[in-house]
Amino acid sequence: MKSTFSPARTAWLLALIVAVLLPLFVGGYLTSILLLIAIWAIVAVSLNLLYGYTGQLSLGHSAFLGIGAYACGIIAVKLHLGFWPAFFAAIAISGLFGFLIGIPALKLRGPYFVLVTLGFAAIVGVIVLGWTQLTGGANGLAGVPRPNPIPLPFGRTLRFDSLLAMYYFTLFFLIVIALICHRLVRSLLGRTFVAISHDEDLAESLGINTMQKKLISFTISALFSGVAGALYASYNSVISPDIAYFARGMDVLACLIVGGAGTMAGPIIGTFVMTAIPEALQIVPTLRTLINGFILLIFIIFLPTGIAGGFKALFSRRGHSLRSGVGRNGVA
Amino acid sequence: MALLEVSGLVKTFGGLTAVSGLSFSVEQGRLVSIIGPNGAGKTTLFNLLTGIYRPTAGRVVFDGNDITGCKPYESGGRGMGRTFQKTTVFRSETVLDNVIIGQSVHLKTGVWGAIARTTGARREEEKVRKKARSVLEFVGLANMEDRPAGSLTEEAQKRLSIAMVLAPDPKLLLLDEPTGGVNLEEIGGLIELVKKIQESGITVCLIEHKMRMVMSMSDRIIVLNYGTNIAEGTPAEVASNKEVIEAYLGARRVA
Repeated sequence: MKSTFSPARTAWLLALIVAVLLPLFVGGYLTSILLLIAIWAIVAVSLNLLYGYTGQLSLGHSAFLGIGAYACGIIAVKLHLGFWPAFFAAIAISGLFGFLIGIPALKLRGPYFVLVTLGFAAIVGVIVLGWTQLTGGANGLAGVPRPNPIPLPFGRTLRFDSLLAMYYFTLFFLIVIALICHRLVRSLLGRTFVAISHDEDLAESLGINTMQKKLISFTISALFSGVAGALYASYNSVISPDIAYFARGMDVLACLIVGGAGTMAGPIIGTFVMTAIPEALQIVPTLRTLINGFILLIFIIFLPTGIAGGFKALFSRRGHSLRSGVGRNGVA
Repeated sequence: MALLEVSGLVKTFGGLTAVSGLSFSVEQGRLVSIIGPNGAGKTTLFNLLTGIYRPTAGRVVFDGNDITGCKPYESGGRGMGRTFQKTTVFRSETVLDNVIIGQSVHLKTGVWGAIARTTGARREEEKVRKKARSVLEFVGLANMEDRPAGSLTEEAQKRLSIAMVLAPDPKLLLLDEPTGGVNLEEIGGLIELVKKIQESGITVCLIEHKMRMVMSMSDRIIVLNYGTNIAEGTPAEVASNKEVIEAYLGARRVA
């Protein structure tokens, strides 16, 4: 049995304390950046479940992010249903799209699957831009509300008006989603995901219904990305087609690879590093893509298991628990 | 009734006929070897039985059910386990995890069970882990459960790949060259293991090239050539069969 204070657990605990306390001491600008990091980290965590642990590389997660954001926005703004129904409906709709796209897409393997996800993302991007009546087109959709206050016992209410409250709201979802992924991956069900990522044919011959398992992983992954989209819509209050632009899906993948695909901390570390470094250096946005690409290249060549994978190898005493879940669809 | 009944099985790949009109049956509890020259259709036969290929024609009846053209993952659920010629284990997973994954056929834990860690899910995990340990003990890898499968010797990986398909308690085991690529000195141990599996009541179908091994351990031998069975019977019967000798050594030239 692992001790309660293994290095990994201590690190998680410290990260959590910093994540909770840091916004109290820094200004609004930094808090808003932390909030965005938390949102992108949710997408990276959900992509990690699909790519890192199930071996299915999707370049189309911008689609689910966009579907979550626009579903939340349209239901709240155009249908006037209020935040909470819109929020939960958006999550369900993202999951449903994942399920429906997953059925044909997951029949394909390797690069063919990647292409279908990319194509889907491009289609969603075009629809979001073109269906002006529904989405507002290039002008975007404004006035997405913050979460309605939740009444608490003793006459108190939980409000989400402030930036800080919105930050904690987002952090809460990041933690819950990361924990759910952790539980999933460690379960017997999750082991079938990992088995598929290593060798799909062998998994199938061992009696694993690989199509069904991949579909479960894909649907959950799409659903969690939808959560991130809905959170973004509510935080930003304005959504533009930019959120569903397909390149965003690749940015998320870059974060995942830098952090370490197939590790729990990887997507979070990767998103933090890839967002914080350009921010700290005040890099011009046009240069950012170039620099991100360069960082990605360095990692693929020198540390394909990412930062978390590197740490894991460093800390593992037995030296063999380096457990990269990246399957044969692996990049590079 | 026979455990496995194959009748009129045909598989063509374009113009090439890999299996043509093959019929045979395997009785419960037997150890049946399938031999034949390279390209005779032995592995194709296994792929047809386990649903990796769809037969062009013919029927496969296993344990009373028609399983012709079923999906590969379904054959496992029906109690058919299969190992491959090329040793196949999940190399970066531990030995124990490999055998745990091998039991996924009977997996009951769903999404909710996994996330909430319900008592059912935890109990299943416990059960699966216990079973994996006992199977590892059976195949002789008890002390290696924490090692990554890729670090084992070829022989140990063969044992592990057998353990993986043995764990979900199959009725029939299809072993494709279980001693292929293994040192001569280590073959004996694997033969012992195959015998032990048969003694535990599991029917075994074996593809092998090592004649001495086949002759000594098989109950029955099926000889394939050009996709059809040219002979079938006890080792002694097969060894004296003229067609078999021709297939292996070539036809006697008329002087």
